[in-house]
Amino acid sequence: MMTEMTVDEMNRQFKTGTVFRAEDVPMSCSPSAKDMEQTLHGVMKMNGLIIKSLEEIAGRGANAVTYRAGKKFGHEVAKYFRKNEDIEEALRELSYILHGQYTFELWKPEDKENYVVTENGETFIYLVFHDCIVRQTLRRNGMEQGGPLCQTLYGYVVGAIEEITGRRAKLEIVHTGPNACLKKLILK
Amino acid sequence: MIEISVDAAACNGCGLCVKDCPMRVYELKDGVSVPVRPENCMGCLSCHEICPAQALEHRGVYPSKRHYIDIRVCEMINRVL
Repeated sequence: MMTEMTVDEMNRQFKTGTVFRAEDVPMSCSPSAKDMEQTLHGVMKMNGLIIKSLEEIAGRGANAVTYRAGKKFGHEVAKYFRKNEDIEEALRELSYILHGQYTFELWKPEDKENYVVTENGETFIYLVFHDCIVRQTLRRNGMEQGGPLCQTLYGYVVGAIEEITGRRAKLEIVHTGPNACLKKLILK
Repeated sequence: MIEISVDAAACNGCGLCVKDCPMRVYELKDGVSVPVRPENCMGCLSCHEICPAQALEHRGVYPSKRHYIDIRVCEMINRVL
């Protein structure tokens, strides 16, 4: 009896009578993005604390764990992308798709002619990351940039690039800032 | 194109921006920081964060999203202000 009453109450509360049909896929964020603000902050706080604890317990091993997680994520996301051997085009496409999470652009110093630079037997491309959820999370929690959480981003980009172009790659941090970070994608 | 201006009266010539910038945008001239290669600036704004005199100003920088503001703290500050 008690169980039935609870179920009835739950039905009333959650309006389980609402009919969902296949074509009723929501086309916008529900509830509105404004209502999600607190949730977003909660997730950022939680992520920050997980990373902090992981670093305390696993030490430098934390970087390997987060890198691996990011790489898996990158492979997972990019397996639906069109395969492309042109690294510049692949990066532009990746930036377009990730817009809002990680907005990055190919970047070169004024004295360089091309984005793909070969120096000292190393081929690389500079990437400037503008919008980055990792940076937001770290700054929200008062944590240093360039730590294990940044490794998830390295893994993500490396995984996605490997998946799209079939080439092995490595991402190195060159500089971090409050508004953008400079990274070097080393191609193998 | 990013434009950088340095308030020469405020700059104390500590050289932190010169050391911090990976693209060697700044150089010290007569004890004041001068943006000698503004075309190499990528707009990370770490020089803003590091400058103790807050003497730097950038124009034409892509403003990244800022979600890290603590809403509750901001609400409290707004109430006080």
